[in-house]
Amino acid sequence: MPTVTIDNQAFAAEVDETILQVAARNGVWIPTLCYHAALEPYASCRLCMVEIDRGGWWQMVTACNYPVRRDVTVRVESERAIRARRGVMRLLLARAPESPELRALASRLGVTQTDFPTVTEAEGNCILCGLCVRACEERIGTAAISLTGRGVERKVSAPFGEPSEECILCGSCAAVCPVGTIRLEVHGDEWELVPFGKKGPAQRCAACGAVLTAELVREALARRGPAAVQGILAGEELCARCKRKKLVGQLLAAGGSGAPSAPSER
Amino acid sequence: MKTLVGKFESFTDLEQYRSALKDRAAGVDCVIRVCCGPGCIPKGASKVYEAFRQAAEEADDKTVSVVPKLTGCQGLCECGPIVTLDPGGIFYQHVQEGDVAEIWRESVLGSGVVDRLLHHDEKTGQAARTTEGVPFYQGHQRIALALCGVIDARSIDDYIAAGGYQALAKALGSMKPEEVLDEVYRSGLRGRGGGGFLTGRKWRSAREAHGEPKFVIANGDEGDPGAFMDRALMEGAPHAVIEGMIIGGYAIGSSNGYIYVRDEYPIAVQRLRDAVAKAREMGLLGENILGSGFSFDIRISRGGGAFVCGESTALMASLEGRVGEPRAKYVHTVEFGFRNKPSLLNNVETWANVPAIIGRGADWFAGIGTAKSKGTKVFSLVGKVKNTGLVEVPMGMTLRQIIYQIGGGIRGDRPFKAVQTGGPSGGCIPAAYLDEAVDFDRLTELGSMMGSGGMIVMDEDTCMVNIARYFLRFLKEESCGKCTPCREGIAQMLHILDEIVGGRGTSGDLERLQELAVLLEDTALCALGKTAANPVLSTVRYFRDEYQEHIENHRCPAKECRGLFRYQIDAAACTGCGVCRKKCPVEAITGKKKEPHLIDADKCTNCGTCFDVCRFAAVKKV
Repeated sequence: MPTVTIDNQAFAAEVDETILQVAARNGVWIPTLCYHAALEPYASCRLCMVEIDRGGWWQMVTACNYPVRRDVTVRVESERAIRARRGVMRLLLARAPESPELRALASRLGVTQTDFPTVTEAEGNCILCGLCVRACEERIGTAAISLTGRGVERKVSAPFGEPSEECILCGSCAAVCPVGTIRLEVHGDEWELVPFGKKGPAQRCAACGAVLTAELVREALARRGPAAVQGILAGEELCARCKRKKLVGQLLAAGGSGAPSAPSER
Repeated sequence: MKTLVGKFESFTDLEQYRSALKDRAAGVDCVIRVCCGPGCIPKGASKVYEAFRQAAEEADDKTVSVVPKLTGCQGLCECGPIVTLDPGGIFYQHVQEGDVAEIWRESVLGSGVVDRLLHHDEKTGQAARTTEGVPFYQGHQRIALALCGVIDARSIDDYIAAGGYQALAKALGSMKPEEVLDEVYRSGLRGRGGGGFLTGRKWRSAREAHGEPKFVIANGDEGDPGAFMDRALMEGAPHAVIEGMIIGGYAIGSSNGYIYVRDEYPIAVQRLRDAVAKAREMGLLGENILGSGFSFDIRISRGGGAFVCGESTALMASLEGRVGEPRAKYVHTVEFGFRNKPSLLNNVETWANVPAIIGRGADWFAGIGTAKSKGTKVFSLVGKVKNTGLVEVPMGMTLRQIIYQIGGGIRGDRPFKAVQTGGPSGGCIPAAYLDEAVDFDRLTELGSMMGSGGMIVMDEDTCMVNIARYFLRFLKEESCGKCTPCREGIAQMLHILDEIVGGRGTSGDLERLQELAVLLEDTALCALGKTAANPVLSTVRYFRDEYQEHIENHRCPAKECRGLFRYQIDAAACTGCGVCRKKCPVEAITGKKKEPHLIDADKCTNCGTCFDVCRFAAVKKV
């Protein structure tokens, strides 16, 4: 079992765990932006730079995807590592100076402002971490959006910049977006995924009319969801509260016999 | 001759075929080699070849047997199209379609030469009959390019007749894979694509790596501005690359090869495809090669022309059909590469050295070059040098020898200013280091690098700030944009350089550039970003004054950055012809006919039209 020594503290690690995982498990904070525990590490934001001892020299690596294979000595709070992380943050701030989320993270890193001018265009503060794209592809299995263009022209987009035909309005991309570029907006019965322009009707509770999810999510689940989900979908579309109410009603109607008369009805 | 029926089934088959080819060649009266390399084709070489081919076909009286060959690059691109004739090794330059009849009459049917097409010494005017009298060709040693420019680039028979696939037969027939590996290791060969990693060590790691199948890959994604070494090689001697790869596959235990070549090289793609198909047809690729029991095959994969796809992980991603973006190499590609399997990637020039090393031995190869850089290196010599072209010289030759002896010096005999080596990851080396030996380590010490072998020569009219800006702009366009420092950092550096070149530089710019350079080196994901600042760093290191002139005095000493110098009319040289006055788009020039004219600096927009149209060189940049 390899040992990961972070700023003079030794921690036990599993082989192929990442430095970031070991650090997080032991309460050592390393800033991240493009990392999400549910997704494969991508190492594009370069905010989690740390130094590791290579025997005679220190190599700068990204903690989020550096695999621990043997004992490794890590410096998180060294001058060089701090300077690197702050440098990356200053570049990101220059790109998206308006983002409150980014500014909050920056100040945690000790960066209150950036001396770099804004030279690249960020649509709605997008810092191109790619979390949305990876969530859509890896977790939802849809790949409705992707990173298009190269270099400073890079952006997150659905094919041809049109509302995606594949998008099911699940909102995963909006949920993982660290800077609020992507939002799922509710306009009455219509949902819209901003900024991709995908729109669709909401699915409402059959009893009380509360919003449940997007109609497209229900359709997608009916098409490709696991068997258990299919069972749920077979029943009435109720919100959690109405389901509970219905169950209680069924129990009472059964005359307190202790069991619902028709459990299959839910 | 004995014609080949089916495939070679043994080493003897190959040797018999080779000697039959040699017998056939012995009956030929004249061989005409028309260079159809990257430099000669745009100058009309294809038509020249076609004319010779027709002439040979029509010479049906059978009094002479003439074989015209369409060859790869013969080197001296500056003087193309090049045609060489054997016997006699007659060297003709600047040959056009219309010259073919005369050459045919004089040198094919007769035994004379066409004097006006010979190379004449710049100073003495003396004509050179063969390459021996042409200064450009002195000091060359061709190993990777040994057969490029010699054989017909499309012919496997030519390659075999010249000794091709002999090294493969030797490796498969008389060496164990470990022995092949040792031979490459002992030769000291280092990767020719840029990094200069010891090839033998890489091979060993690939052999020792766990996982099946293993892959052998050739990197033909040459993308440095001004570089065409790999292109020339793939076009001119595709079988050298293929043979090297088969040997590599045998050494590491792989049966699967890929050549990744950029689609902007359509001729290279075609030659490689044809070569692979031909080798397969003859049993040099495929199952049970030469009856040895070893099997290996190669597929050609075309890249879309993204510079970053020359980077190993991006190349493999592209090869897999995904977007060509790099990933972390904390686990090396020799262990975890293409399709997550052990993958041995070498540049095409590295591969082309392999048959020679196996054929002639590691000791022979290690005897060439410097202590830590063995063998030769191919350079594409371009820029403001008299003889531009493709050069293969032993490691350790000095920059001065390459630029002045082979290159013939600077155009117009102007003073040399710098040479850019190593492409966008390299740097500019000033005159003070002209006598340095060119090898991997020395170039790195000088703040540049060997890179893939581009060499761009610059004279005093070249602004070094502008050069740094050129390379940075190239990288800004070629950055994939995945990682923050490369995408945002290069844009920031370029912004600073744009300001400096535009006369809006401020004090502290150089420090900001240097800070960004360190940040990129420390944090960028791949080598493109990590080394992106090199052209800036090396020019700041050697030409700091020039940067300062731009920043502090808003002057461009090379007089290249528009707005940082003025145009002035030299009254003594001006004849008052009035052309500049008429052409000036803003009516900034005044003057009476036949009297010296004057530029009104307040009106002048520095467009340079007057400078371009003046026939008396009376418009000066000051």
